[in-house]
Amino acid sequence: MNWNCENIEERLSDYLDGGLPKAEAATFSAHVAGCARCTQLVASVRGLVGALHALEPVAPPPHLVSSILDQTSGPRTSRSSWRSWLGWTRAVWQPRFAFGALTVVVTLVVVTQALGVQWHTPTLADLNPVNLYRSADREAHLIYARGAKFFSDLRVVYEIQSRLQSNEPEAPPQKPPAAQPAAPGKSEGPETTPLNQNHADYGTKQFTRFASALWMAPARSKP
Amino acid sequence: MQRHTRRIFNLCYRFTSNRQEAEDLSQEVFLRVYRTLPSYRSAYGAFGTWVTSVTRNLLIDHYRRTRRDRLTDSIEDVLPQVEEKESAGRRPDHSAAVVELGVHLQKALGKLSPDLREAVIMRDLEGLDYREIQTVLEVPEGTVKSRINRGRIELARVLDQMGIRPD
Repeated sequence: MNWNCENIEERLSDYLDGGLPKAEAATFSAHVAGCARCTQLVASVRGLVGALHALEPVAPPPHLVSSILDQTSGPRTSRSSWRSWLGWTRAVWQPRFAFGALTVVVTLVVVTQALGVQWHTPTLADLNPVNLYRSADREAHLIYARGAKFFSDLRVVYEIQSRLQSNEPEAPPQKPPAAQPAAPGKSEGPETTPLNQNHADYGTKQFTRFASALWMAPARSKP
Repeated sequence: MQRHTRRIFNLCYRFTSNRQEAEDLSQEVFLRVYRTLPSYRSAYGAFGTWVTSVTRNLLIDHYRRTRRDRLTDSIEDVLPQVEEKESAGRRPDHSAAVVELGVHLQKALGKLSPDLREAVIMRDLEGLDYREIQTVLEVPEGTVKSRINRGRIELARVLDQMGIRPD
């Protein structure tokens, strides 16, 4: 393309903004390099664009935003004094906050219980780190001792049960009850049959015998 | 809100060269945006572009309304103090030359025709691209480019007449 001063002026912004194809930009530059008028024009416009880009934004007045808000969403009503003081409590009634507060309280109760802090007679000594440590240590040992005792008790119960089962003799063969015709009008619901009664008596006798044996065992073991 | 306020205020200030007018116009813009918000459709363009469009319409209305007053008024009386105070307050280390250049640039902008002024402000001060300016001005892209180009050349000439040569 053959550039003249008029074309240069028309496409100047395209050239400065990088909107010209490479070949055209090269011929553009070639014309500008050989033309004093266009050199001066390009330099001044380039300098101007740079200065405009570097121009700092002006800060709006501080009250502008509040004035706009007053005009659009209306002037903010001033609350009465006690309402403004209690305004923060609105957040407390949010479910999230309430659940969070509840969790904190429960955690505190559990921790203080574990530390052995006695709140019925609160003293400053309760909050002493040494006392807190001692209480925590004592509680930990107590918990361990209770757990060990519970485990031991369980073992005794299991032992009793297993001995009861091992001492239980084979069920003696019993004669089948004579078939009796059901009395008319009598229901066939669950009721204590002679066989069930025998089992119950047998279990009671066995337990009594075992308990007395267990009771007497230490006495017998004595010399 | 803060971002839009700042942008709209700057647009108004650069167009009117008057801080008080810019403040009043910014309030008017937001009032109009608030009232016409239900008519805004995303198909029209980004919200920022729409707000710019509302601002531009108000600025043109304002320009037409105050044309007579402007003939007897001179911005030279108020502009330098405002600009200098603003810039010095924000950046104490700002060199006097840059502050002075800003004052002269604003003065030169005020001498452009509204068509060229708004195109240059939107492109070189607000950083809008050609498509956004086309949407705001509702003119073809070729016209937008032509106005920006003519605006820059005209502004450079005005500055040259004022004896200012930005490097």
